Amino acid sequence: MASPSTLHETELVILAQRGDRNAFGELVQRHSRGVLGVAYRLCGESQLAEDAAQETFLRAWLNLSGFHPQTSLRNWLYRIAVNAVTDMLRKDRRLAPQDVDEMDLTDPRPGPESRVARDEGSALVTRAVLSLPEASRAALVLKEYEGLSYQEIAGLLDIPLGTVMSRLNYARKRLKEILQPQLSIYAEVEND
Amino acid sequence: MTEHVINWINAYLDGELHGRRLAQVESHLDECAECRAELASLQALSTMLREAPLPDFPPAERFAANVVLGLPRKPETSPARKALEIAWWLAPVALTAAWVFVQTTLLLSDWIGAAGRLGLLDKSASAWLVPAVPRETLLSALLLQTGLLGGSGVQWLRSVSAFFGSALAQVIWQVSIGLLYLAWIASWWARLGRRGYGQPLAAGSRPQVK
Repeated sequence: MASPSTLHETELVILAQRGDRNAFGELVQRHSRGVLGVAYRLCGESQLAEDAAQETFLRAWLNLSGFHPQTSLRNWLYRIAVNAVTDMLRKDRRLAPQDVDEMDLTDPRPGPESRVARDEGSALVTRAVLSLPEASRAALVLKEYEGLSYQEIAGLLDIPLGTVMSRLNYARKRLKEILQPQLSIYAEVEND
Repeated sequence: MTEHVINWINAYLDGELHGRRLAQVESHLDECAECRAELASLQALSTMLREAPLPDFPPAERFAANVVLGLPRKPETSPARKALEIAWWLAPVALTAAWVFVQTTLLLSDWIGAAGRLGLLDKSASAWLVPAVPRETLLSALLLQTGLLGGSGVQWLRSVSAFFGSALAQVIWQVSIGLLYLAWIASWWARLGRRGYGQPLAAGSRPQVK
């Protein structure tokens, strides 16, 4: 029998559906980066993102018999990840993203080259994304960070295509408002 | 100047516009500084978002090993699939039970009939056991009364009815049960093959865990 790492994803899914844990482990390896990324962008905490990713793969294992190997496993996992993060954030309200008014939107002006300024900038972006409503945040994360098409996002979130567009428009408009000072500095640096 | 295309700039940026709409947005952007500025700010936002780094997560192999360690023994079967599997197992059992019931009833009926003819049963029991008038008797009486068939025709009809009512029915029953069993055993064998029973995992298929 061939090593799982050399098998095509569809073959691995079929093996995993028959209970092959090695095949499932290989699938986890292939998709862990993406799932961890989506989870982190949605919740903003690395430990919570890891827990959510573990929960995602556990749910995937438990429901693997209902998955059609011909469809996109990545999109199916992202769908589970979005639900897992949402459930975790709702279960523990302390982990819910802050309101944007409570955020410390400090100006990273003192030296964009410095690591501190860069870290502050990324923290700011992360917090701004977290301030978005859940629905818009999910659409934005799937588009900006994972590069999914509108059609894929619509299928994944079970919403019409028009709703994907309006959620993305809203998310970007809101982020532009929140990050306006940083965007101006960014534009200046880019122009220089 | 054409109408502003602010509402379509997001879709344009995401590469989701095609055909006439794409041409319309592109031609408008050529002549509208306001919409071009909007596009530039969205592009800057997109770059800023993508530059926000991810934290250091554990290596994929270690993460996968942890996930696999925490998995329950087997993937759960969906309720619909479970119901289907139960029905799959119950179908031949139910058919066998029905067949045994019919055969036993027929056998008992024959024995009791024979006992009655030999006078081993008293009259009240015989009366209780006497079956209703058979359908073919009613039919032949009707045909005789209406004059559609003569005496020999009715006799022939009775023989045919008796044959179809007993011997042929028995043959059909048993052949059907036999075919159903063969089909069930064949598909059960195929399912075992698909599950890969009897095919041990190669040692090389173990994941490499550091």
